[in-house]
Amino acid sequence: MMKGHTLFSWVFTILASLVLLFIIAPLAGMFLDSSFSEVRTTAADPVVRRSVWYTLVIAFSATLIFAVGAVPLAWIMARRKFPLKKVVQGIIDLPVVLPHTAAGIALLGFISRDGALGGAAQKAGILLVNNGAGIALAMAFVSLPFLINAARDGFAAVPERTEKAALTLGASQSRIFFTVSLPQAWRSVVSGFIMMFARGMSEFGAVVIIAYHPMIAPVLIYDRFNTYGITAARPASIIFILVALVFFVFFRVMATERRTIFRREDDAAD
Amino acid sequence: MLRTERLSKRINSFSLREITLDVARGDYYVLLGRSGAGKTQLLELICGLTTPDSGRIFLEGEEITRKRVQERGIGLVFQDLALFPHYSVKDNIMYPLKIMNLSLKERVDRVQRAAREMNITNLLLRKPNSLSGGEKQRVALARTLVTEPKVLLLDEPMASVDASLKDDIRRMLRRLNRNGQTIIHVTHDFGEAISLASRVGVMHNGRIIQEGTPLEVFNHPVNRFVARYAGIKNFFRAAFVTSYNSCSGLTEKRTRFKLPKGKYPSSGLLIIGSSEVLLSRQGAAGIQINNIHGVIDDVVPSPTGFEITVNAGDFFYADITHREMEENSFVTGEKVIVSFRPEALRVVGDGEEKKEY
Repeated sequence: MMKGHTLFSWVFTILASLVLLFIIAPLAGMFLDSSFSEVRTTAADPVVRRSVWYTLVIAFSATLIFAVGAVPLAWIMARRKFPLKKVVQGIIDLPVVLPHTAAGIALLGFISRDGALGGAAQKAGILLVNNGAGIALAMAFVSLPFLINAARDGFAAVPERTEKAALTLGASQSRIFFTVSLPQAWRSVVSGFIMMFARGMSEFGAVVIIAYHPMIAPVLIYDRFNTYGITAARPASIIFILVALVFFVFFRVMATERRTIFRREDDAAD
Repeated sequence: MLRTERLSKRINSFSLREITLDVARGDYYVLLGRSGAGKTQLLELICGLTTPDSGRIFLEGEEITRKRVQERGIGLVFQDLALFPHYSVKDNIMYPLKIMNLSLKERVDRVQRAAREMNITNLLLRKPNSLSGGEKQRVALARTLVTEPKVLLLDEPMASVDASLKDDIRRMLRRLNRNGQTIIHVTHDFGEAISLASRVGVMHNGRIIQEGTPLEVFNHPVNRFVARYAGIKNFFRAAFVTSYNSCSGLTEKRTRFKLPKGKYPSSGLLIIGSSEVLLSRQGAAGIQINNIHGVIDDVVPSPTGFEITVNAGDFFYADITHREMEENSFVTGEKVIVSFRPEALRVVGDGEEKKEY
């Protein structure tokens, strides 16, 4: 029994290690193939700095702005029954399965001067194509499912009885959402927020169709690769990966820290 | 005070059908029924979480059938208590008070008062996840009671409480009711109903099939289901024969019961409590008739002694005390005589017996 268990553990450990190695090896190779001075020089390049800054700001803004609608949509998907709900869920998941360049083309038709949104924006003096706003829309388009689905799962896990109890205690629907549903689904919403932000930040396919300039980091890396080759693209890639990792870990730690604080309060209560 | 008129509601394949209830101010009304009988659905209709397909609800003379749940003045404590896990006990109790636009002082006073009444002042800063079932129950009650509901609905309030703490909760509920709180309490436990209710309604398959005081329901169950629910195990379908000087009932298994003189229907149910059934080897002293021979089928310990099942064609259940057991040492397979007084038999005629839906 013990021997069988050990063999099982070994096989699974080896298989798991191979997959992890597959993820780590290219990244580690990239770091090993670049010298520190190359990375430092690239990090000092104002074009690279500006590009990383754009990427972070635009991805964060897109996530924040679209969360205003995505979170209520997630709540509706978790709590309401309505005709064609499965179709709506399919629509939400659509950006995940679309080739991102195709998503970019679709979006371009919508936000260009001839498109419905683009035309309206132009009347208001805003040009969406080749603009930060257009990039934000492209990032949001491909990354929204991560927030909506995570938040939906979070709301679905909230015991419906607590919402009903709040109703019998006199609370309005909006008060229940903000004081009962959202606080209990908070972890999933934050987790979805982080995933949407991370996914938006790394988007290339849709963004490059909408706006080559201003150049966000993934487009800059592609541009350096196209223009100067892999040696020039590698340090920029390393810098972007490091910055993305720092933000990703920071948000994760924030979310975990919040969870730990909750647990500490519970333990103290014991 | 609270009245429902022919309340009906269809939920998927289940239906609540024509529920008519009348609960007076200060009543402790217990809705008794198995799980799936529709008790919780009825509570949700009364408090306004769902709306009926037909029928009406009145509270203090005012129709509230379509009134919003927030405005009904009816409190509901759910079976799973539904405490807010992200709030402390204090904030849970404070929750409805914040909605009522009370001053901070009034809110704090009410929370303190409710905490004292429910004996949870030491728990106010704790989170619900760290509380025991009994403590959670008290917090849920406090949270609802601070709203000063006209009617308090309790859905299986003993379900999450340890057996040792049930007496505490019962005492607390009785005290609440004595102080004038009208309560509708849902349970599947007849013992709970007996110990608390001023009136009982027995629910089965979405209908109330019998209503009355606990004693009325226990002594005069309208059908086999209610009898079984009331803890009665000895009931027999019988045909009744009344002649000039004797009355008797004959079961399908040919067991003959002698009945006191009187008028009886042609057929119906014969019911006798387990404590009225006596067991002996030579026939119980002083009982000349209704001595039925049988064989002990099973001996099962019970809280008060033993429950003995006797196969006499029909099965009889007898409750005997530890002392009786020590004196007689009944064992499985032994031949015994089942005896009972004719006066202990109750008859529910087919005409009177309510259909088991």
